[in-house]
Amino acid sequence: MTKYIIRRTLGLLPLFVGAVVISFLLMRAAPGGPQAALAGIKSITQEDREKWLRRWCLQAEVTPINMLKEFGGWLGVLNCDSDTVPEIFFSAQGGLNVLPAALGGGDNGILHGDLGLSIRAGRPVVDVILERVPATLLLTTTALALWVGIAILIGTYAAVHRYSLFDQGMTFLAYVFYSLPTFWLGLMLIFFFAVFLRTSGVTDFFPSGGIITTRDWPPFNTPQYWAAFGERPMAAIVDIGRHLVLPVFTLVAVNIAADSRFVRAAMLEALNQDYIRTARAKGLPARTVIAKHAFRNAMLPVVTNVALELPFLVSGAIVTETIFTWPGLGRLFIESVGARDYFVLMGLLLVSTVFILIANLLADIVYAIVDPRIRYD
Amino acid sequence: MSDQPLRTPATSRVTALTDTAAADYEVALESLNQWQLAWRRFRRHRLALVGVAILAVMVFLAVFGPIIWPYDPLDLRRDLPGPQGFDPIAMPPFGSDGAGRSVFVLVANGARLSMLIGTTTMLIAVTIGVLVGAVAGFFGGWVDNLLMRFVDLVLSIPFLFIVLVAARFFGGGELVPLILIFGLLSWPGLARLVRALYLSLREQEFVLAARAVGVGDLRIAFRHILPNAIGPVVVSATLIVANAIILEAFVSYLNFGLKAQDISWGNALARSQERIAVGNWWWPFFPGMAIALTVIAINFLGDGLRDALDPRAKE
Repeated sequence: MTKYIIRRTLGLLPLFVGAVVISFLLMRAAPGGPQAALAGIKSITQEDREKWLRRWCLQAEVTPINMLKEFGGWLGVLNCDSDTVPEIFFSAQGGLNVLPAALGGGDNGILHGDLGLSIRAGRPVVDVILERVPATLLLTTTALALWVGIAILIGTYAAVHRYSLFDQGMTFLAYVFYSLPTFWLGLMLIFFFAVFLRTSGVTDFFPSGGIITTRDWPPFNTPQYWAAFGERPMAAIVDIGRHLVLPVFTLVAVNIAADSRFVRAAMLEALNQDYIRTARAKGLPARTVIAKHAFRNAMLPVVTNVALELPFLVSGAIVTETIFTWPGLGRLFIESVGARDYFVLMGLLLVSTVFILIANLLADIVYAIVDPRIRYD
Repeated sequence: MSDQPLRTPATSRVTALTDTAAADYEVALESLNQWQLAWRRFRRHRLALVGVAILAVMVFLAVFGPIIWPYDPLDLRRDLPGPQGFDPIAMPPFGSDGAGRSVFVLVANGARLSMLIGTTTMLIAVTIGVLVGAVAGFFGGWVDNLLMRFVDLVLSIPFLFIVLVAARFFGGGELVPLILIFGLLSWPGLARLVRALYLSLREQEFVLAARAVGVGDLRIAFRHILPNAIGPVVVSATLIVANAIILEAFVSYLNFGLKAQDISWGNALARSQERIAVGNWWWPFFPGMAIALTVIAINFLGDGLRDALDPRAKE
């Protein structure tokens, strides 16, 4: 088993390297480039600007050698304070630059955890990304848990009562919700719940966007906010909960469709197996056959499917976050695309690709664990 | 399943044998080719027929809408009653947007570009996907390894991510780069599917037979195997059309897509969110409804095609 996991992990390494290269090429191929973007930050001095250019090995001319230098600098292999060949591989501390700082290496580049500087915010990319993580995880974990749970209920019931009115109704609904553009569903929900219900005086419970009521609370995820949160935790939770309803509903509605069909198919497959006939033939109650024999086996592919859906937690809510002005990673991404904030884009691309790769690995491992029929050597 | 009585060839054959003279036997025994059988199965799929009907309406709207209703979509009515524009009663049939453009004219004109983008994206993606998948699956070995690792790599990058960045940085608001971006990023899933089909089909006896009589590799791959893989390919082609329409809508909605003068369903929706708060629901509603109906129809169609083109399906 350990061997299997190690082999699968090693298999992902080329993909990871490929993703790093693509992230880098994306930055270099984009018109303007990071030099121009860096020149656009008004808040830093000329001296600092030159320091940053050296730190990332950014070169004025685009030549193959310079591209390699820039790539090495972005990775953290090279130290561009010096320009000659042996010295460039060594850090100011004298060790190989690629080593961790504690072992005498440098501190620049993604290998040392430096993803660059956000042009829009004028702060390190790592900080900019990390401060958006709580909002995204709150939204996506709530949505994922809800839709997987509901999809399992609907799919199982529909499979057990195949071709019933419920099954056919759910099939139809799955088609409809699967086909709706997510952002349009969000817009319509905002209109009905946040605008129509408010203007017609029914309720003003549903806000039209954001994560908190801005006039009642300090900006989300700042120290002031958490202080206020500590003073009135119940009020804060209710406030966030109100803002969660519509985006979570949007995500659940669009994603439940495909998953409930998946669960239904898996359950039907399980119900068709010989061991189900055996179980029925020996006179077990229908409930036991379904819950113990069919359901547990049907969950094998479902668990794998859920593992493959985990990247959604990071990069799955781009559309929904945009519509509901949710201050998460998806919205950060859209804002950064709009502002051509290269280092943030590269950082986000890297982080979400890593998540996808980890999820693929996890799916393989989970499948090998839950299904004893899989041979993994 | 269907309201009309089912007449399968099996029953008609039985009728022919028992009820009619032997001379009529040859006449009654219909011989149907693959496509006729597929069409027969397709006709029985009621949702697929609904899908075809909706698509026919949409194509009619795209082709004749701007002719029957010959208004420039960029024409503005300046006598707006307020920030929300005219409602559908004051300006039939779909009201106006916040600037005074007729939403109906936007929908009718947008149908052209949205459908054009959907179909051309599909053509690019299917061409590349089938080529790559066929070569990888048919030849195997290091070619397969190389191509599939590349597919893995593309699939391990979040799709929406790369599309939005490419559209913003390389799209330039033009139609052709946007279609190229969509097409060039949409094929890896299809290639994986085609490869899997080829891996199993190339072991079949008809391939051995073709090889035995001296048919060349390329001809086997594309004239013998490809027709047998056509069903799943057509189904995923319909999905690619649907996805491209939604994708274009979202990209243009964010203003990373087409220029404002080029009307697509996504561009028709752009900036409509600002006016929702003042009650202008018809502006986003109708273009979005057009997208949703088209995509539902395409999905119904794809489902019907899957059943119809499955060679193992019982008559």
